[in-house]
Amino acid sequence: MTENQLPLIEKYRVKDLKDIKGQDLAIQDIKTFFKTYPKKKAIILNGPAGSGKTTVTIAFAREFNLELFELNASDLRNKAKLEEILKPATLQSSLFKKGKLILMDEADGITGSDRGGVTELIGLIEKTQFPIIITANDIWQQKFSLLRQKCQLVNLKELKDSTILEILKDIVIKECRTIKQETLLTIAKKSKGDVRSALNDLQAALIVGEENFVSELHEREKEESIFNVLKIIFQSQTNSKIISAYDSTNMELDEIMLWVEENIPKEYSGKALFKAFESLSKADVFKGRIYRQQYWRFLVYQNFFLSAGISSATRLKSNRFTQYARPSRILKIWMSNQKNAKKKSVLEKYAQETHISKKKAQQYSFILPLILKDKSIQEKLEFDEKEQDYIQEKAGTIIIANNLNKFRQD
Amino acid sequence: MEQDSNIWTEKYRPKKFEEVVGQDDIIRKVTNLTKSLNIPHMLFAGPAGTGKSTLALIIVKELYGVHWKENCLELNASDERGIDIVRQKVKDFARTKALGSVPFKVIFLDEADALTREAQQALRRTMENFTGTCRFILSCNYSSKIIDPIQSRCVVFRFKMLEKKDIEKRIRIIAEKEGLQIDQKTMETLYEDSEGDCRRVINLLQAASSISPTISGELINTLISAAKPGDIKIVLEYALSGDFLKSKEKLLEVMLKESVSGTDIIKSIQKEIWNLQIDNELKVKLTEKTGEIEFRMVEGSDEFIQLQALLASFVMAGRGI
Repeated sequence: MTENQLPLIEKYRVKDLKDIKGQDLAIQDIKTFFKTYPKKKAIILNGPAGSGKTTVTIAFAREFNLELFELNASDLRNKAKLEEILKPATLQSSLFKKGKLILMDEADGITGSDRGGVTELIGLIEKTQFPIIITANDIWQQKFSLLRQKCQLVNLKELKDSTILEILKDIVIKECRTIKQETLLTIAKKSKGDVRSALNDLQAALIVGEENFVSELHEREKEESIFNVLKIIFQSQTNSKIISAYDSTNMELDEIMLWVEENIPKEYSGKALFKAFESLSKADVFKGRIYRQQYWRFLVYQNFFLSAGISSATRLKSNRFTQYARPSRILKIWMSNQKNAKKKSVLEKYAQETHISKKKAQQYSFILPLILKDKSIQEKLEFDEKEQDYIQEKAGTIIIANNLNKFRQD
Repeated sequence: MEQDSNIWTEKYRPKKFEEVVGQDDIIRKVTNLTKSLNIPHMLFAGPAGTGKSTLALIIVKELYGVHWKENCLELNASDERGIDIVRQKVKDFARTKALGSVPFKVIFLDEADALTREAQQALRRTMENFTGTCRFILSCNYSSKIIDPIQSRCVVFRFKMLEKKDIEKRIRIIAEKEGLQIDQKTMETLYEDSEGDCRRVINLLQAASSISPTISGELINTLISAAKPGDIKIVLEYALSGDFLKSKEKLLEVMLKESVSGTDIIKSIQKEIWNLQIDNELKVKLTEKTGEIEFRMVEGSDEFIQLQALLASFVMAGRGI
């Protein structure tokens, strides 16, 4: 892999402590840990994703000229590997007369299936002759209480938007590219302090082009906001604020309707399902009246049935996680229209030839393919190859579906 | 020479007045009008497949002979988008003089009852403006849907529903020419199904003949049942069994596969309710609900939402709530 193909997050991973941005306090604490080692033999770097835990660790290894050994949860069971790591540096191949630094990445990963993993980690801390760095997103869980006592604890905060913006700008300059300040700011804000996600987004923007990236980002934002609103509509108790629930999205009411329609069955069943669809049905009636009469005050009622109406369909609210689905119907209709294009052109030619309307021709589509598969008719009506294939296929379907072959005399 | 069509509704469309069956009185009058080479505006009202278009086509062929295509504009009101397009087409067509000895051209506007009242008013003015150069033949299923001012400008001919003997006569002619074996009972099956619509009979006959030259009643019945959205029953059964999602999916599939409109779907739901294996009282309730939903469909904007609301009531009914 050439330098250019590396993901930005690897290509621009900071190598020196002095270049790490936004974690000055944490770095001071870690320095103290190394100075006082082995007062505490391990240190926990606790912080949200993308705040720089791994980067800091790598930079420290460099700073103190230590060889970095990375462990994961399953390695804790691997005796051979552990012994290899724990061997004093002096017993190792003379090529590396360095000290070692052990990194236990993502300690939160020690869960469920790794029962006893924490105990083994603590055992390791007691035996080790090398400093251990443990990273975690949430070390405050009960099961880590013993571990916490054995370690020094350092919290890394999520980075500020301005810090991330600075990092992004740097990289854009180094990559010799131009990207609007505005886009960079959007990326920085969206990352919520996660450098990794910011760099991944930047990479996406560089690859797919800024415009595409921004519009897609908006789509995602829109979806996120509709998810939240749907959760309120379906899962909160109905209150006076419910009728303004949709104000927080920037989605049109008509599009929201499709989302609600798609997801009612995911949340409600039985009587609640019925009541919810009653409300949706009434919302749609008002929508129809708005269109026909251009009387926009009806929008109030459309919104009311869509929000309070749907919400009050039941008082028994669930609080489970629901994976809301994107409206699928419109896509299906579109795809079906694409498929029906051939059908339409066949019907049109037939209708013209026989002096009837397309609508009337449509009524005969249950037997038309049988009539039209005749070669001389196809020539007369000038059906092209695609249309002929369509007719052949449809005729076949009709014959099979109705078991018509039993009427043949052979 | 024009190549003959092998679509039987065209191939066996009567080409002369005397070949038209079942409308003797009308034929006599129209024949005389045509011979005088001066026809009035005419309105043909009557059920589908009784010969309205056929008669209009015979008239223009009698008037213009081989030049009929240049002198006749065929429009279908249910296919043209808006009266403005109809007017523009009429204008363009009427601008040039008729070829040959007849001093006017003919505009045949089929399914005129598909036009709204406002569009018909506009059509009335168009008719007046071009009376000098054009004669209109309008056709419709119900003359009551045509506004009075138009009716009063036309000679109205009411087409009768074709009788059994008329339909049988056509079937025999076709059977003989195409070498089909068809018994009396099958003939009756075809007639019963057609409700006097000759086009439907002939289409069924040709579709059946593509399978076998021996047309049995069973073959015809199989084809007929293919026309009914049989899947609607499945949609309703899913709903009654409490499976809303499957019911909805099936409904969407039915609607998309054959591009059936929501109105057609709700019609078959309404018919299907009586065949369901449920309590009569429930049938009444569900029919009432169906009517309400059909009403909302007219008022609302999204047929599929309304149909889902209906399915949700079937789900409830299935649970005995």
